[in-house]
Amino acid sequence: MVPGAPASPLDPRPAPAGAEAAVPGIVVRDLASGYLGKRVLEGVSFSVTEPAIYVVLGQNGAGKTTLFRTLAGILVPYAGTVEIAGRSIDEPSTRDRLHFLSHIDGIPDGLRVDEALRFYASVQHAGRDDVERVLRLLEIDGLRHRYFAELSQGQKKRVSIARIFLQERDIYLLDEPTSNLDPKVAAEIRDLVLGLSRKKVVLYSSHNLFEAREIGEYVLALKDGRLFLFDRIRDLRPSRYVVGLRVSPGGSALPALEKRGEYYLQELSGPEEVPRLLQELLAKGVRLREVREMGNPLEELFA
Amino acid sequence: MEAPPRPSSLAAITIRRSIVVGVRYLAIGLFLSVVLTALLLRQARAFEATFPLELPLFAILGSTGGLVLFGNDRAKGVFEYLLAYGVRPRRLFANALLASAVLASIVLATAVAVGIGGFVAGGGHLDVNLVTALVLYSVPMTVASALFAAMVSMIWTAVSSPRAGLGGPAGLAPTLGIGPTILVLVAAETAPRSDYYVITVGAAATILAVVLVLAAASGRLLSRERLLSPM
Repeated sequence: MVPGAPASPLDPRPAPAGAEAAVPGIVVRDLASGYLGKRVLEGVSFSVTEPAIYVVLGQNGAGKTTLFRTLAGILVPYAGTVEIAGRSIDEPSTRDRLHFLSHIDGIPDGLRVDEALRFYASVQHAGRDDVERVLRLLEIDGLRHRYFAELSQGQKKRVSIARIFLQERDIYLLDEPTSNLDPKVAAEIRDLVLGLSRKKVVLYSSHNLFEAREIGEYVLALKDGRLFLFDRIRDLRPSRYVVGLRVSPGGSALPALEKRGEYYLQELSGPEEVPRLLQELLAKGVRLREVREMGNPLEELFA
Repeated sequence: MEAPPRPSSLAAITIRRSIVVGVRYLAIGLFLSVVLTALLLRQARAFEATFPLELPLFAILGSTGGLVLFGNDRAKGVFEYLLAYGVRPRRLFANALLASAVLASIVLATAVAVGIGGFVAGGGHLDVNLVTALVLYSVPMTVASALFAAMVSMIWTAVSSPRAGLGGPAGLAPTLGIGPTILVLVAAETAPRSDYYVITVGAAATILAVVLVLAAASGRLLSRERLLSPM
């Protein structure tokens, strides 16, 4: 259950009076949204108020981007309400509480890096000193005079994500911030987002389930435009709990187990059985080199 | 600590970017208008009769940068961010219209400066007919036609998939602006002489009114998803 959230995250109650300013969050009630009259999201309700990363998962077409665009006030809901820090998303002042990052760069044509950031600083009513700070923070100071179109994918993503650091806000809506990035740049961006999540509410969509598990505290899973799961990721239990055992040569042989690559697979009823298994194997003289969970509970959300 | 930029600076940035993005259109508009003006200056009577009529055509061509910027920003997802940061759709249209008007004015002002300057320097006398034609035909028709071309093309851009080249809105925008200019000219020429400027000013005012109504209604007529990148 989400701390600070209503009893059922799928049936949110209004936030208590006076609580909005202290804990800025998102409350969505029975939301329907889409494009040109075609509904993509239907009956979506949830409430998030705890500073954390909330990973939004779903197959292509499940409605992730539509959800982000609606929460950002870009799309007007067909039904239901979206409240940011206790205020309707329709109120212009609400937009000053959130940052939005699309999977599209959104950097205007014909601008150099520093010009592009100044453009967004102007839109956000930030100053030039904020641009200088962000250029250093994202380590793109050396690119400041380069045209955006000339940059590599990783450099473009850095510049694109830089705009959400121009001003501190309460809520961050990040739609696939690490898509199409090499692992190094993706890891750097994840670190930046992790830094944010200590104080902010971060909604983060990704197709990378391992990334989602690595950084996410909660998961919101969408399927066919409906929210079908909202839970703490560490509380998710896969239907089959399998650990992989990697052994060093020279020890006793393992019992006959299925093998995948270098790992022997052992199915258990849950993680609480792992210490008992290790004790048994060590007692039998098996020289264990590594034990790891072989499945990702998030994978089953896509089944 | 430096003060944050004023909120109105988005319009100024849009104008500056439209000049950068539409620099080729601006250069062609300026070049053609100045060349034609120079040719007309060789014969005073031809200059007086034709100069006011050619001005809107090249100014409309030069103003295409405003539309190009609008189409690019939509395709690149810039509008998505601007909407998220609270910029209203109507302001996006208004800024592009303002940029188109500024671009058209640059061509118009340059051509007028070259034409009138050259005419006077060559010993010509500025008579009332020439000045009246500039004030009551060239200026209003330039502004009205440039804005009409931009507005119609922006709506077209918003309701269609991105199309590059001459078959797309940017390619056909000058024609959309030049069309009304020619029609107004034909109507004025076939009407009694006394009604000439009534027709040109009235037509320009009507076109401007249509543009303003479309701009004001654009936020409601066009759903916001029309402004998102189709990518």
